Amino acid sequence: MPKLTINGQTYDAEKGKTIIQVADEVGIQIPRYCYHPDIGIEGSCRMCLVEVAKAPKLMPACATPIAEGMEVRTNTERVHEAVRYAMEFLLLHHPIDCPVCDQSGECWLQDYYMAHAGHDSRYPLGEKERRLKAFSLGPLVKLDQERCILCTRCVRFTRNVTKTNEIQVFSRGHHSEIGIFEDRPLENPYSGNVVDVCPVGALTSSDFRFKVRVWFLKGTPSVCGGCSTGCNNRIDHSARPLGGGIPGYSAGDGKMYRTVGRRNVDVNKSWLCDEGRLSFHTLERWPRLRTGTGTVAAVHERFEALRKEHGDSAVAGLASATNTNEAMFLMKKYFRGNVDFRLGKEVDLYQQRQDDLLRRLDKHPNTQGAMDLGLAGEWSGLRGMRERAERKQLRGAWISFHPQLVGDDAPEIVDELQRLIAALEFSVVSTTHQFEWAAKASVLLPMAAWSEELGTYTNYAGRVQLTNRAVMPPGEAQPLHLMMAELLLLSGVQIPHEPAVIFELLSREVPAYGGMDYDSIGLLGAAAAQPVEVTR
Amino acid sequence: MTPVKGGYAVDVPIVNVSERARREHASVWSTFRAFAVTLRRLFTSLFKGDTPTIYYPEQTRPYSERFRGTHILTVRNDGSLKCVACYMCATICPAECIYIEAGEHPNPEIEKFPERFDIDMMRCIYCGFCVDACPEEAIIMSREHHQSVYTRGETIYGIEKLMARPGIDAKGPGYRPNRALAEAKIFDKKSQQVCPFPSVVEERHPAVLYESMIRRRGSE
Repeated sequence: MPKLTINGQTYDAEKGKTIIQVADEVGIQIPRYCYHPDIGIEGSCRMCLVEVAKAPKLMPACATPIAEGMEVRTNTERVHEAVRYAMEFLLLHHPIDCPVCDQSGECWLQDYYMAHAGHDSRYPLGEKERRLKAFSLGPLVKLDQERCILCTRCVRFTRNVTKTNEIQVFSRGHHSEIGIFEDRPLENPYSGNVVDVCPVGALTSSDFRFKVRVWFLKGTPSVCGGCSTGCNNRIDHSARPLGGGIPGYSAGDGKMYRTVGRRNVDVNKSWLCDEGRLSFHTLERWPRLRTGTGTVAAVHERFEALRKEHGDSAVAGLASATNTNEAMFLMKKYFRGNVDFRLGKEVDLYQQRQDDLLRRLDKHPNTQGAMDLGLAGEWSGLRGMRERAERKQLRGAWISFHPQLVGDDAPEIVDELQRLIAALEFSVVSTTHQFEWAAKASVLLPMAAWSEELGTYTNYAGRVQLTNRAVMPPGEAQPLHLMMAELLLLSGVQIPHEPAVIFELLSREVPAYGGMDYDSIGLLGAAAAQPVEVTR
Repeated sequence: MTPVKGGYAVDVPIVNVSERARREHASVWSTFRAFAVTLRRLFTSLFKGDTPTIYYPEQTRPYSERFRGTHILTVRNDGSLKCVACYMCATICPAECIYIEAGEHPNPEIEKFPERFDIDMMRCIYCGFCVDACPEEAIIMSREHHQSVYTRGETIYGIEKLMARPGIDAKGPGYRPNRALAEAKIFDKKSQQVCPFPSVVEERHPAVLYESMIRRRGSE
């Protein structure tokens, strides 16, 4: 453990780390463009120069390994001057595109210009270098070479992370520019991440481009609902209704505009796959279910009557592996253990990788959570329920259905659900959208979708993470845990409505989550008390 | 005429009437002199048509060059909308009355243009901040202020109405403080018989762009 001094304060740091990594850990800010913790070190932008005692020149903090007794200063006049000149150099040919640039508002050039530079350009506006603008690198990414500062973060991302090498630096010296080979567009399944890593407006997302300016957005830290990996993301949604009272356009309940990766070293580093990144568009694919065809109280009466007549096991619940742990826990309580969640082969697939990086084959975020709650029991899934319903052992059921956020739900699952509804005496479907197959259900109740409720998901490795409410559910839609709390209240059990309190009840009963609460889960999640063995 | 405080919120001067009459040489004859003025005005109004009143609303008085009336969206020389949908006006707007949807302009030099640009004139407070914020002088104000309509929906002005309407031709532009920085034209039907976005060029193939860039570098 070498000891080093930064700005007069001595720190212990791990051997092999670089100065900027230590500074990041202890909270000293060093400006940087090319350094990104997850894609390897380049040292090309010269923004992170710091003064090291006994070194003749300033050293790049991102590429200088720490050593015993090193004395680093980040706040001397020499360092400020170097940063100022580096900024002037980077901005020499930078176009004044800020009004039309999508990065504007979250641009590192703007931030560091205001913090460290503040100069006037020595180059007249008309004589600045003109380069390629608005060029599609692939289906998701657009390139603007004028705005590029050649930090090569995108190049290193495709080289070190996806290992596909689509983006390269072409030409040399002043002529160097970012580009792709003619026959190889940027089409890898993680291409959207280059937009996240780009510190300037050179790479912009075709999906998000020009939809809204970023200063209208509010970020809510959440978890992707696209597959069982549970990547941490930030949902950017409208913070205020745009256009005020103009009817039909004001996004009063909130509208999601994009999701970006949120760094969590234990799950997804900083990355998201493209499917997961765009998965919030799935919620716009069908018209949303806004009003129900019955009330929870009426549903409870029917269930009670069926239970009295045919016994407890004549009424069951079918949860969805996109429901939160809290909702499924209350569901299990109300249906007295007669709950299952398996629509297809989630349990076999949820740990299997789809590729080497993030994606997994099970496209539900909470399969592990449902298994921890003991929902994969003797009911043997949707098929088992349908068979029991056809044998008239099952009379009434609550089917909670959330569409897969990535890909389509298998047609045989939809077929099976239809047959289940047809075989049941009394069927309640709580779902998010107006699905045709659900129209025949006795009662249809609108349910809040992913991003509209607070709760926890447990990912494939048993890591419990918070999924957050970014927007309000449409119409009368409610989170499933609220509907279940109402049902439980009608049957005489009072349950608090806050997901945090429900989770505390859950953690007392489910051994895997013993001793956890929302505070200990926090932004980055926490591994369950009884870790899951990842076999595949 | 010393100001006294007497139950008023502000100081009101007390006028000494007799002193004022002496100063102004007022006497009985003044009354007849006043009648003469009235009669003279009567005849000049009747026969010369020299009246101080105007036939409002058919006639209006000229307004200030800096009058902040209903907005105008200005155009480029080719008749296309100057706005680049940067949302600066929507950002600064204290009444939140501007709604913009941006689109991808086929010309990568322009890049961005408003697919819709709505101003809710009922919500607008005519502060002129949008004009101050605009980096392109794409939005200016006119000297028009008539807003009578039959439905509330008509008070939401879209691009077409903001760009060209009879009121602009009649009253002309008003508040445009950035004129010295960027000269923008107001849509003129007589000289421009073109669609709102004619500066759209054909989709340029990236290879062509590369070629032209290489050629440009070679000539340097």
